[in-house]
Amino acid sequence: MPGTPVEPWVDPVIEVYKRDVDRTLLRESLRWSVEQRVEALKEMQRASIELQRAMREATGRS
Amino acid sequence: MTDFDGLLRLLSQGQVEYILIGGLAATAHGSARFTHDVDVVYRRTPANIARLAQALQSVSPYLRGAPPGLPFRFDEATIAHGLNFTLTTSLGALDVLGEVVGGGSYDDLTSHCVRIVAFGVECLCLDLNTLIRVKRAAGRPKDFEAIAELEVLREEKDAGGFS
Repeated sequence: MPGTPVEPWVDPVIEVYKRDVDRTLLRESLRWSVEQRVEALKEMQRASIELQRAMREATGRS
Repeated sequence: MTDFDGLLRLLSQGQVEYILIGGLAATAHGSARFTHDVDVVYRRTPANIARLAQALQSVSPYLRGAPPGLPFRFDEATIAHGLNFTLTTSLGALDVLGEVVGGGSYDDLTSHCVRIVAFGVECLCLDLNTLIRVKRAAGRPKDFEAIAELEVLREEKDAGGFS
């Protein structure tokens, strides 16, 4: 593992998946610091909790 | 929901030697994908195994997905006789790995890390090339989208001069 060169191999399956990656989101993220990226993840987590709570409340499910 | 801050602080405050991998490492590199757990590679020395067991003692680690009531104890003996553990804790899901496919052990990986400050703690984070390599080595179809995103991140960094 140590000293292993970065593989030049192009995986055709991954190339298909790469077509659907939103590069605009990634370019925005790359402008941020690590702390800002982590904070965005936590904000996503908070939003997820809130939306799930709202849906439970709206549908009456626990 | 996993308390990312809490788990990493627990490990760092316990002076556990670990490397951040998986979804959180991807986030640190710029991934826009959500993750639900914390994945780390821990150093398998007796002293570090003792620190790991001690650090997690307060958060009731248990085998994730296992039926309740098993006589499982996440102690030094269990860690020393095992290797990789997928755990549930009172702070959320935590995978502690002695080795990763395609990457090896903590000592194999330390030269492929960057030191970051996240959640208020300083820790080692797997570098982007190695993160891609271990994701590929795992060979799981569920990782294809994540690998594609990491490869695009690498392309964007190379093309755009991002750090």
